[in-house]
Amino acid sequence: MTWSLIILCGIITFLMRFIPLSGIISRELSPSTKNSFKYIPLAVLTPIIVNDLSIVENNNLFLIENYKLYAGIIAIIVAFITNNILATISLGMASYLLMSNFINI
Amino acid sequence: MKKLKIFKQGILEELPLQLGVFPFGVIYGVMAIESGLTPMQAFLMSSIIFGGASQIAFVQLISNATPYGVIVTTVGAINSRHFLYSISMMEFLKNLSLKWRVILGYLLTDEAYAISIRRFINEPNTSFLHFHLLGTGITLFLSWQISTLTGVLLGGDLPQFLDLQFIIPLTFIAIIIPMIRSISTFLVVISSAFCGLIFKNLDISFWIIISGFIGVLVGIASNKLDKKR
Repeated sequence: MTWSLIILCGIITFLMRFIPLSGIISRELSPSTKNSFKYIPLAVLTPIIVNDLSIVENNNLFLIENYKLYAGIIAIIVAFITNNILATISLGMASYLLMSNFINI
Repeated sequence: MKKLKIFKQGILEELPLQLGVFPFGVIYGVMAIESGLTPMQAFLMSSIIFGGASQIAFVQLISNATPYGVIVTTVGAINSRHFLYSISMMEFLKNLSLKWRVILGYLLTDEAYAISIRRFINEPNTSFLHFHLLGTGITLFLSWQISTLTGVLLGGDLPQFLDLQFIIPLTFIAIIIPMIRSISTFLVVISSAFCGLIFKNLDISFWIIISGFIGVLVGIASNKLDKKR
């Protein structure tokens, strides 16, 4: 079942890369349609990030002892300043490891 | 031998990007094994799907026992931007044979596109331009396969305290933050983050897709704010 899931995802991904090159689309897409495509990766990846950074129990959002949230905020600042994937991941990870292993409240 | 020269230029221009791609591939490989995929599934996914962010989302979702429909839709949504890349390449590649278009379509990923489209736009009348995309695409493909394999082989051998699961949101942060360049993109992030938090905790199974859809609508609605500036 996992195999068919992987293959299905592969086919869909390939078709999205290939269909415009296949010649099926004869008409140009309108600029507003093209424009809305750029929001998709942002709109899909952000909820995944938020879910990974938040701890919710009994409908309460935990903020104080959630080191992932703090490390995530540090990573966001690093990403904003450096635009560098490697720096963002390593500084975010380092700050998380420091906080989770050495802070005992 | 102009073809070979353009092909080599593509390879050389793509190489520096591997500094970011390689660790990403290793992380994917490790995560895939931790999520419970077999080494063969983890490795072959890199050539079957061949899309970094979507593969990481795939393994993250499958380790959370997400319904398959949500996984397929999420992978499709993340890779939908490649449709746009393909549209902008259409003009340059439309006269090639079907075989060429299939190969180049398959290789059309973020990093290959980013390097080759600059060349295409700057020198649109050069012949054999498609060899440039072949060079960037093959370089990226090989680097992705080797780094994935490295991660798959490392797999569970990495120390537990590293909590590698946390690398996924960090990687996505690194991808997303540089994309926020306007008021509308900022509003998309805020609204989809907010919706994600709410819908996930309401136990709605398509929470990523619904939040994403609302995010895109907010983007379209706020698009005019960008132009006024």
